[in-house]
Amino acid sequence: MLKVTDLQVTVDNQPILKGLDLSVGAGEVHAIMGPNGSGKSSLAHVLAGREGYQVTGGEVCFDGQDLLALDVEERARRGLFLALQYPVELPGVSTMVFLRESLNAVRAQRGEPPLDAAAFIKLLREKARLVELNPELLKRAVNTGFSGGEKKRSEILQMALLEPKLAVLDETDSGLDIDALRIVADGVNALRSPQRSMILVTHYQRLLDYIEPDFVHVLAGGRIVRSGDKSLALELERRGYGWIAGEAAA
Amino acid sequence: MSSNSSEVSALIRREYEQGFVTDIPTESLPPGLDEQVVRAISAKKSEPDWLLEWRLEAFRYWSQQREPQWAAVHHAPIDYQAISYYSAPKSRPGPKSLDEVDPKLLETYEKLGIPLAEQKMLAGVAVDAVFDSVSVATTFKEKLAEAGVIFSSISEAVREHPELVRQHLGSVVSYRDNFFASLNAAVFSDGTFVYIPKGVRCPMELSTYFRINSANTGQFERTLIVADEASYVSYLEGCTAPMRDENQLHAAVVELVALEDARIKYSTVQNWYPGDEQGRGGIYNFVTKRGECRGARSHISWTQVETGSAITWKYPSCILRGDDSVGEFYSVAVTRGRQQADTGTKMIHMGRNTRSTIVSKGISAGQGSNAYRGLVRMTPKAENARNHTQCDSLLIGDRCAAHTFPYIEVRNPTAKVEHEATTSKIGDDQLFYCRSRGLSEENAVSMIVNGFCKEVFKELPMEFAAEAQKLLSVSLEGAVG
Amino acid sequence: MNAVMDPVEHYRALVDAATPLLPGAHLAWLVEQRERGLEHFLANGFPTRKQEAWRYTGLERVLEEAWLPQAEAVVNLAADDLSRLWLAPKAGARLVFVNGRWMPALSTPVDAVPAGVQLGGLREALEEEPDQLSAWLGGAAHIEASAFTALNSALLDDGAWLQIAADRRLPAPIEILYLSLGQDRAAIHPRNLLVLEEGAQATVIEHYASLDEAPSFTNAVTEVMVGDGARLEHTRLQDESPSARHMSSVFVRQAGDSAYHATHVSLGGVWSRSEYHNRLQCERANCEIDGLYVSGERRLADVHVAIEHAVPACSSRQRFKGIVLGSGRAVFDGLIRVQPDAQKTDAHLSNDNLLLSRDAEVDTKPQLEIYADDVKCSHGTTVGQLDPAQLFYLRSRGIGLGEARRMLCLGFATEVLDGCSVEGFADRVGERLRQHLEASPLIRVNEE
Repeated sequence: MLKVTDLQVTVDNQPILKGLDLSVGAGEVHAIMGPNGSGKSSLAHVLAGREGYQVTGGEVCFDGQDLLALDVEERARRGLFLALQYPVELPGVSTMVFLRESLNAVRAQRGEPPLDAAAFIKLLREKARLVELNPELLKRAVNTGFSGGEKKRSEILQMALLEPKLAVLDETDSGLDIDALRIVADGVNALRSPQRSMILVTHYQRLLDYIEPDFVHVLAGGRIVRSGDKSLALELERRGYGWIAGEAAA
Repeated sequence: MSSNSSEVSALIRREYEQGFVTDIPTESLPPGLDEQVVRAISAKKSEPDWLLEWRLEAFRYWSQQREPQWAAVHHAPIDYQAISYYSAPKSRPGPKSLDEVDPKLLETYEKLGIPLAEQKMLAGVAVDAVFDSVSVATTFKEKLAEAGVIFSSISEAVREHPELVRQHLGSVVSYRDNFFASLNAAVFSDGTFVYIPKGVRCPMELSTYFRINSANTGQFERTLIVADEASYVSYLEGCTAPMRDENQLHAAVVELVALEDARIKYSTVQNWYPGDEQGRGGIYNFVTKRGECRGARSHISWTQVETGSAITWKYPSCILRGDDSVGEFYSVAVTRGRQQADTGTKMIHMGRNTRSTIVSKGISAGQGSNAYRGLVRMTPKAENARNHTQCDSLLIGDRCAAHTFPYIEVRNPTAKVEHEATTSKIGDDQLFYCRSRGLSEENAVSMIVNGFCKEVFKELPMEFAAEAQKLLSVSLEGAVG
Repeated sequence: MNAVMDPVEHYRALVDAATPLLPGAHLAWLVEQRERGLEHFLANGFPTRKQEAWRYTGLERVLEEAWLPQAEAVVNLAADDLSRLWLAPKAGARLVFVNGRWMPALSTPVDAVPAGVQLGGLREALEEEPDQLSAWLGGAAHIEASAFTALNSALLDDGAWLQIAADRRLPAPIEILYLSLGQDRAAIHPRNLLVLEEGAQATVIEHYASLDEAPSFTNAVTEVMVGDGARLEHTRLQDESPSARHMSSVFVRQAGDSAYHATHVSLGGVWSRSEYHNRLQCERANCEIDGLYVSGERRLADVHVAIEHAVPACSSRQRFKGIVLGSGRAVFDGLIRVQPDAQKTDAHLSNDNLLLSRDAEVDTKPQLEIYADDVKCSHGTTVGQLDPAQLFYLRSRGIGLGEARRMLCLGFATEVLDGCSVEGFADRVGERLRQHLEASPLIRVNEE
């Protein structure tokens, strides 16, 4: 599904990723953990195509295509979804219009006809139930006036709607209380399928209690320094990132 | 200026303390202005021909101009023929050292809290003392010369460094700039010249202390500061005048030139005599101040505390020509009694990635009138330029006035401008809170005023904090409650 | 315009020619107003950029043509031709003006107008029942406001006349449509008078439109009187042709406890200026003006708003947004003036601009002029671009760059349009805005 080879990225000429390798197969869930500043969020943004990151080396192959050659919207239409750590507010932009525009753009890429208003609303209601999002919020402007937890649920709702091949969840657990975390995790688990891969970017092991990963990678100093199964996350929890960083330096 | 507010409190209630007159024989030109007066001023200073010519051109231009009418200030017509354009203590020609300066003058400055004897002075501060039309003393010149810094009266600089003066004089503020700048160019009598060589960080704070003493005299000084590549200088000016019943005109010009990577910090504590409560007397302070960030990454910062003058009309501005250059304007203007202030800045963004910040705090009390007038212009080449402006007005008393007149002109779609302004009186809840903690109402007011101005005060050089506080002698007494 | 012709002389000749044809020539109070208008115009002429209120607005586009008043509107229009122009499908009454002249045949019949409402053409009212008007007409407009108001007064002829009796609350909007068409260089000077008596409530829509591309010059003056406790929802759309010159001046007088809310939209015209002069003259009046202006290729959109707090305890809000495309220019000048003793004033102004092209220009001047101390006044102004983070977010959901931009521009506009209570108005303006955006290439300025 996704193959990242020797990816090197700078921001304002500062190296952020220094030769990162990652391979994600169909249906797999990978957790990427690491200390603050290790480059976790940068990886998520580079995959989605955010401006401000200069790729200075390496390759990213997504579903058989050169991901880095695609514009942001092209990546989304071909099945890459990024759930942001801080979802952006769009004052004045209707959530319904936004979601329908987005869904129909993705459907068009898949060769599916656009949904009419009635079918769209029906689908939206159904997906909103999945993340227990108050349908009233959908009448507001995108993310505007949403609480932190509502924004995160709205992100998972969008993921459910767009049915991506690869979802990258950037710190989706940050700022959530335990109930909201459970709702979000239930939403994500419901979307797990043999055709859908996921990358969970997280600082804490906590999220992984709810969404069980197939693989855990530790990112430090711009590289993946250790990979393993979920027991690695537990070990990290116990011993802290210093343990890995020390090892990586040695 | 983090010191406690009780000191400020004491100071803002102080009467005008600098209102005394020094009794000293002077040599003055009779009132009136024509070409002969311009020639006489130039001759007194033995100026080169090019400078006389420049003055004469300025005079001819000025003669065809009319006073600007757009400012939110009102005054009786100024009779330009009733003013004496030159007045100097008789002890001229220029003293070689402090020992030769008339002791009465030294005493005057001592009384003003500006001792000129170097051993008495604030360490690390060099002073040029300008008395009426001339510079009477400049301290620490030798020490500064060691660093290559030129710090002298502009008359002396014309003699000693004519090429530098000629290159830069009028290059930022041309004699055609405005009515008062034209007048200044024609008749300027003295002022300060500063040159900081490449790569030099000026080892001490520089300061000019302006004193108007004689009656019926205008003061027209001209300051020129040139910061060569990668140099730094911090400069402060202070101003006072005796209490007189008639108005006196002060029409100064300040030009700053910052070359590549240079930084100039220019601070003003203006406390000209403001006139009495009925609006009799006081200085008309009509000043043109402009800096040009000529080189890349240069930086000009204006900080002003304006408490004096019957009328203040000044807009210290920055032309941000160099890429990545930075302009700043921090201002506190206090008007009380019948004082009027129309002040602000212009930030002209020409280079790429230029940045400017404007923080203006106006305080109006009694029947004072305070206007912020500012221009932010983003020219088509000002790629990614940024400005942020914050203008706040505080009103004390129901007879005062506060105005905000910003002009924002944007011609580049990558530029961003943000402007915010507020006007309010001191909140009853704020006062109540302070008083419920045992503060007197006056203390509470001055504490709140001090807090209101803090953003600007913190920009003043530390060395001048005490002096600035002393000069911030505005009486808010009677305006409260 | 003929280069040798002096514009002031041109208009003087027009006024001289028009005067014998104007209604109400026997009414001394009206003749006096017209004469004052002409005198002021002749004494002061047209403003120049040296005048503060005109420093960003040149009059070349207006003065370059010798506009002529249309004495008779000879037009074959059927009501069906207008249906696509109606903004309020559920309007309670409609009034149509073509080239400045009231068209009763296209308007709601007089007997179908809701009870308690006087609605019709000013010209007819001046001929038939002038006494009703003498108390109001000219009471809000001040001739000195500009040469245009002075000219409009000198040529005072026809326009909408609406009076709502005390305590009448109209459930449906009244819609007034001004069309210019057919005649090259047509000049129209409508004078509208809207009077809401004590406790009355109404929604009034003024819509200025063109049916063709012929150059035209509109110089409208609208006088509004909002009585004690009355409420007016005033929705104004200027959507004339790209060759139109449009000047409109609105003068509002508000009595105690009254509420005035305007939604102003400037979309059309090669040169367009809208002025609001609102005076809060009795306590506890509230005035809110939301506005949107859109400028594009070689066009000017100019909005001037001056809200005068003359007495204590009133509140006001101005919220204007501008979108500037192509080589368009936009000017915004907003003033809050608080007179001495107008304590407890609460007044705010915001102005946000999107500058979306290399050749576009915005000049904005938000002003506070305050002569009282117990006030809360503020303004905030921004000029900038679309937020790259927002663009990224939309694109990361599969929405193309062009569409993402349009969505953000529409969202930006929606924030002011949503304040309008006329059903469907925001959507209608949104559609027109979308057409403007689609016609204008949006440049990539933020992505490197």
